[in-house]
Amino acid sequence: MVLNGLLNTIRKIYFSHNIVLWMILVILPIGVSLFTMGMFSSQIVQHVPIGIVHQDNSQLADKLESKLRSSPVLDIKMVCADMGECEHAVIRGEIQGFIVFPNDLERRTLRLEAPVIPVYSSGQNYLTNMFATKEIRSVLAAAGSEMFTAQIEDPVKVQIHSVGNLKSNYQGFLVLGLVTAIFHLAAMIVGAYVTSFPLRDHRVREMIRYAGGSRLTLWFASVFPMNIILWLESLGCYAYCHRLLAPLSFEEFVMTAAAQLFMIAACSGAGITFVGLTGVMRMATGGAGIIGSPAFAFAGQTFPVMAMPFAVRCFAFILPLTHVLMIQSTMMLGDVNMVPAWHSMEILICMAIFWNILGALLMSMRWKQFARREAKYEEASKLENAPEATA
Amino acid sequence: MIKRLWKVAFAEWKLIYTDPAAVLLLVVAGLIYAFYYPIPYIYQTVSKVPVAVVDLDNTAMSRDLTRMASAAQQIEVKSIYADMKEAEAAMARDEIYGFMVIPENMEKDIRGKHQVTVNIFTHGAYVMFHGAIGTAFSTCALTVGATNKVKQIALGKQVPSAKAIAMRDPFPISIQTLFNSTGGYANYVVPSVLVVILQQSLIIGICVLGGSRAHRRFRKKYRDSPVENESLPYRYFGRSLAFFVHYCSFILFYHCIVYNIFDFPRRGELLPMVVFSVVFLSSVINFGMVISQIFLRRETSMQIFLYMSIPVLFLANFSWPAYLMPRWMTAISYILPSTFAVPAWLSIEQMGADIYDVAPKLYQLAIQAIVYLILGLLLTRIRDKAKIDMGDM
Repeated sequence: MVLNGLLNTIRKIYFSHNIVLWMILVILPIGVSLFTMGMFSSQIVQHVPIGIVHQDNSQLADKLESKLRSSPVLDIKMVCADMGECEHAVIRGEIQGFIVFPNDLERRTLRLEAPVIPVYSSGQNYLTNMFATKEIRSVLAAAGSEMFTAQIEDPVKVQIHSVGNLKSNYQGFLVLGLVTAIFHLAAMIVGAYVTSFPLRDHRVREMIRYAGGSRLTLWFASVFPMNIILWLESLGCYAYCHRLLAPLSFEEFVMTAAAQLFMIAACSGAGITFVGLTGVMRMATGGAGIIGSPAFAFAGQTFPVMAMPFAVRCFAFILPLTHVLMIQSTMMLGDVNMVPAWHSMEILICMAIFWNILGALLMSMRWKQFARREAKYEEASKLENAPEATA
Repeated sequence: MIKRLWKVAFAEWKLIYTDPAAVLLLVVAGLIYAFYYPIPYIYQTVSKVPVAVVDLDNTAMSRDLTRMASAAQQIEVKSIYADMKEAEAAMARDEIYGFMVIPENMEKDIRGKHQVTVNIFTHGAYVMFHGAIGTAFSTCALTVGATNKVKQIALGKQVPSAKAIAMRDPFPISIQTLFNSTGGYANYVVPSVLVVILQQSLIIGICVLGGSRAHRRFRKKYRDSPVENESLPYRYFGRSLAFFVHYCSFILFYHCIVYNIFDFPRRGELLPMVVFSVVFLSSVINFGMVISQIFLRRETSMQIFLYMSIPVLFLANFSWPAYLMPRWMTAISYILPSTFAVPAWLSIEQMGADIYDVAPKLYQLAIQAIVYLILGLLLTRIRDKAKIDMGDM
């Protein structure tokens, strides 16, 4: 009986509804995730367009230019007559920086006067600027060390390793974070939609009837399928995206999958709570959007949480995304990572339970209120139609 | 004529302020996001990142190197370990985000003119930590190396130390960051995001208000209203005027108040700012008017455009260059006003571009505005003629 009611309600909610539900539940989360993955498919920053100002027409300047031209990271797009020309090109977005080979570069270098080569880069292109300046520094330093002291080795060599991300593929990890953020938002929006469309379409009594009169069955029928569908989608997208990074062990995969499940449960619970609080789909979706859309900015992957003000750190703490990203990042560190990941997992479980209990309580009240309202409208419209029927 | 346009515009404002969802999107979102987004990045840069040193050498030189690292601004040496495993465990516990390993016999090898390798390990998930820790530790280690190399050159080539320094690094480079001298993260990310916020909230707002007025209940409610029975051009341009004036005030608010509060570079000249506002808002409003005709329900636009905010932000070409994206994605990005508006806004406001510098981007926005205007007028005309049961609330 209960199972019948549950299945009937699931069928009514998920299989006899318009395309919007399937758009926001399946097509958009997967589509946007794949689109985002495609956007970063080149993974490594290459061919950063730069300019050169040749104030010195010497052999050394030509040699340095040819070394810079041979770098795959840089692409010398312009040779400017003066600094103003290159600066305007930066403003127009044609190049992202420029190098000035100063007057008498070769002469002063040979006289050991150490002439400074100024490199101007645009601070508005943070990522490309970082890669380009690093490359310019290493190309010019290598050329410099070959001039007088080629036979003397540098006493100290530095190697920088990125733990768990051997190729320093930050774009790959950024995409993982973005995909998780997309599902974080998706769970809130779908949670708000699934529980609010019966309110909007005045179908609360119909849904409760399908659920055999039980609001608990209606709750399960609304919440479970969407959580499972979103979770499977997020796992699929995550696994597809993770192929660019080091493979996860079985335990690490289980941990990440569980974290995503609890994140989705917590977020859908939050979306449902917004509906319970406002009773209007537009307001609930708007609230979910305001919290969910910028969540990635607060979650600490692009800009570390520890460098944020205290109030923002508190806000970041209540976002499930922050904890999932923390688990995903600790999974990169190998076999020492399970204990700290469990701490984040406990927080996620608590969040999922809290938001779902709160959402269920509020929705139960809303359904009751709307069912009563629908009954009242029906009676009123019957009374209105009665004289017409008599006539 | 002007009076009739303003009448429609006033009616639209009244509608905005009497619909809570429209107020949330067209007023509250623009205000909240202006503060909500920059606040995490208010300190602009990452400093004092907790790190550790694994000293396997334990000599005067290794202790010097550790002291030098402790003095670096970007990092804070929290612990000194004698074993790499301890550092790894601390990193897994999130107590540190990186560590430097000083190899065994470093001092002995350097004095014996053998090259040593200093390894720096950073947490692979965080690009900003990687940059800060890598730069700080490698500067310290290379300084130790440079000091010793200068000594070797001075002794080997019999030259004074000043010349030895020049021989080691004959043309040092000096990196100047233009238009964001502090290298602040907020200066880089927030101005672009503000433009995307303006675009997204305006498009969703227009759709929620039902730009086309295709909704059954709305049409029934207002069927006798003189404003709703105005001729198509007056209705279309009157509503556009309402959104235009409303969002001009947002651009002014961002330029005069938000930029001041958060101390973002503000170099915008009046003429390019005005031209930008006109073409950008025209493009977005007409785009919103076109999109609003497609959805049958007012909430659908909200649900769809909220999903789109992440790709829209990255398609705007400010954080990930367009030339690294697949061609078809770049082609898709030409549909969105933000693709041209974000670089144009950055050029004007952050870099102080004059009208000639940004003209190509403003032309592209103007072309978009014209195309969407024609489409918007056409679709509104089709919707006007459609039966009343087309679409509902």
